Amino acid sequence: MSLYQTDSGGNYEYVTARVRARKAALFDDDDYRKLVRMGTSGIARFMEETEYESEMNELGARHSGVDLVEYALARNLAKHFDDLLRWADGRLYDYVARYLRKFDAWNVKTVLRGLYSDASREDIEDDLVRAGEFSESLLDQLAGSDSVEAAVEVLDSTRYGDALADALRDYEETGTLVPLENAVDRTFYEDLLSDLPAESTRATELYQEFLHAEIDFRNLRNALRLARSGADMDPSEYYIDGGRLFDESEIRQLVGNTDQLVEHIRTSVYGEELEAALETLEDAESLIEFEHALHRAELEYAGRLSNKYPLSICPVLSYILYKEREVENIRAIARGREAGLEPEEIEEELVIL
Amino acid sequence: MDIRLFGNHKRSTMSATTLLTEFVLAAAENGGQGIPPSAGAALAVGLAALGAGIAERGIGAAAVGATAEDDDMFGRGLILTVIPETLVILALVTIFLV
Repeated sequence: MSLYQTDSGGNYEYVTARVRARKAALFDDDDYRKLVRMGTSGIARFMEETEYESEMNELGARHSGVDLVEYALARNLAKHFDDLLRWADGRLYDYVARYLRKFDAWNVKTVLRGLYSDASREDIEDDLVRAGEFSESLLDQLAGSDSVEAAVEVLDSTRYGDALADALRDYEETGTLVPLENAVDRTFYEDLLSDLPAESTRATELYQEFLHAEIDFRNLRNALRLARSGADMDPSEYYIDGGRLFDESEIRQLVGNTDQLVEHIRTSVYGEELEAALETLEDAESLIEFEHALHRAELEYAGRLSNKYPLSICPVLSYILYKEREVENIRAIARGREAGLEPEEIEEELVIL
Repeated sequence: MDIRLFGNHKRSTMSATTLLTEFVLAAAENGGQGIPPSAGAALAVGLAALGAGIAERGIGAAAVGATAEDDDMFGRGLILTVIPETLVILALVTIFLV
């Protein structure tokens, strides 16, 4: 997969029609409620009768139980997102491909974590999501490298090369993966919004609006985690540039003071969307509930953007978010059932709109 | 004059407009008589068909996409695709008026 640029705008009509149909076919709340009450084998059987049938059959011989569910989910996700790239043309292709580099970042992090924790090559390969821009051979090479340093070497020619090479020194000093992971995340988000075509069209603006929102929500989540955990870390280390909600100095100030942070969000552009989430935060004092409320607000915002601008990149990106949510939810249910959690406990972990 | 119907929406509409203006200008220069009525009617039908074509391009693409996901959408997609065709049918009236 490579990026090519053409001067045509893209086939928005075709892609959004297909994407909307797929989004409508995702699991709904009733399906989740049913799943939560099933055992792990029940979940596997349920999935064989749905969308995930072919993946479940393909992987059924090699894996079983929750692992089977999890790998089938990852493979299905990759299939759907590859479809998006197959359909899209012109600038639309460029936007979708840029966004799907998120999975390159994910894969790089998976490999680094795997190597760091001495996981076997098969385990690492099973956890890769083959939906990004990296070629199969590069991924194989990555998974086959025998140390974190070697993996960074392999990535030298990619867009993550420079940032990773810089972070490698920190990694060697501290012995933790955090600097490397941050380097990957930052490169991803910085590249998302750079090199956009100079003439700003409506499509570019919408793409930017969507991503600003995503970056803002991510910064917000990081800020809250830091504020809550009380860890003595520099928030600007985690700050991702490009959002509209905070700038770097603001975030440093606000992390120290949760009330101020909440007030800042309430008066921002997302105030209305996040109203419910902010109330949960104040009542519940629980970070996980707020994060879910935040996730819900993000999905709703994405949904609203895609209704407002039906022929744009928004429906496609919103579908990507919804599909990811489905995969996360099913994974949470399967893992939760495996660990013997009660249905009510699992339901709290789900992001249900 | 290049007409690129399958390239960019805007470009195709724009070159159609240039085509029209140049035609009218040429007709006006040609003895100052203006356009003969039958040619005007032909133009009306032709332009309406062009408009319908541009409209159907997007709808058709979306209809094919929806049908690919769900076969039941075929009938509905077909109907929605040909709705702009009414433009041409209405424009056809001009033929009988002149």
